[in-house]
Amino acid sequence: MTEIDPRVTELDPVIHAQARLRVVSALSVLRDDDSVTFPRLQESLRMTAGNLSVHLRKLEDAGYVEVTKTHHGRTPATLVRLTRRGRLAFEDYTAALRALLDPLEEQ
Amino acid sequence: MDDDVPLGNPAESLALIERERANLERDITPDPRWMLWPWGIAWLVGFALFFLRYGPDGRVFVDLPDWLPLLVLMTLILAAGVTTGVMGARAGRQVSGPTSRQGLLYGVTWSAAITAFAVLFARISDVLPEPESGLLWAGGMVAVTGVLHMAGGALWNDRDLYFLGAWTLLADVVGILIGPGWHSLIVCVAGGGGMIVAGLIGWLRLR
Repeated sequence: MTEIDPRVTELDPVIHAQARLRVVSALSVLRDDDSVTFPRLQESLRMTAGNLSVHLRKLEDAGYVEVTKTHHGRTPATLVRLTRRGRLAFEDYTAALRALLDPLEEQ
Repeated sequence: MDDDVPLGNPAESLALIERERANLERDITPDPRWMLWPWGIAWLVGFALFFLRYGPDGRVFVDLPDWLPLLVLMTLILAAGVTTGVMGARAGRQVSGPTSRQGLLYGVTWSAAITAFAVLFARISDVLPEPESGLLWAGGMVAVTGVLHMAGGALWNDRDLYFLGAWTLLADVVGILIGPGWHSLIVCVAGGGGMIVAGLIGWLRLR
């Protein structure tokens, strides 16, 4: 069953796109204030660097993720973390999905 | 498939969320097999040789050179230490923040504890008869391992690791009470075997 439930379209548009939902889901594994390196995240999500950058920028604009450029020794590193706001949005989103699912299963 | 398109079905979305969470979790966690199996193998092989050469009540089951069990155990432990150090550091570089600092401090704690006890044991084992001196070293170091695994379980909120530590400590204490010789056999089977099993369980959970 893949038809679109009308109530689904009312969900948070920032993370409702499949790619951004995947990014935020992966980042939600990190504990508060922890960040993951860009290449690790990219590999885990199996996205191209360009594609991931585009989605990270949209998430950054919404204040859901924070992207920091830093150095590990001499090598530059890009770190990505979920902000408090992003974590809340993710939790609201999953709660909304579960709420949609429950009445559907009772039918 | 256009990945900017929303998913229509909540169940599909929830499955996608769980899949991506499991993927990153696995990618940033050091492989439990690499973290525990080298130690399990070191204990299985090393303490088996100790039991065969230095059995209960001075029995010699297999007449190995008297230096062989210690050399093998130490070599395997050194190799295990290097392996887990490298694998732990590699995983630590993927993530930055409080968790990797905790990991680094936890790793340093192992070295500090082992060094402190080694100094103490080296200082007093000379005045003990050989079987008791061996029991002091083996019993003490296995106790350190058990306690630090328990502490690790508490730190990472990891029940399996906590249970492994408690199990190791229990096996150690039982072996110490029964005495030299038997201690080697119990640590070999229960301690080394326990780490192999724990590594397997940890890996299966992450898969």
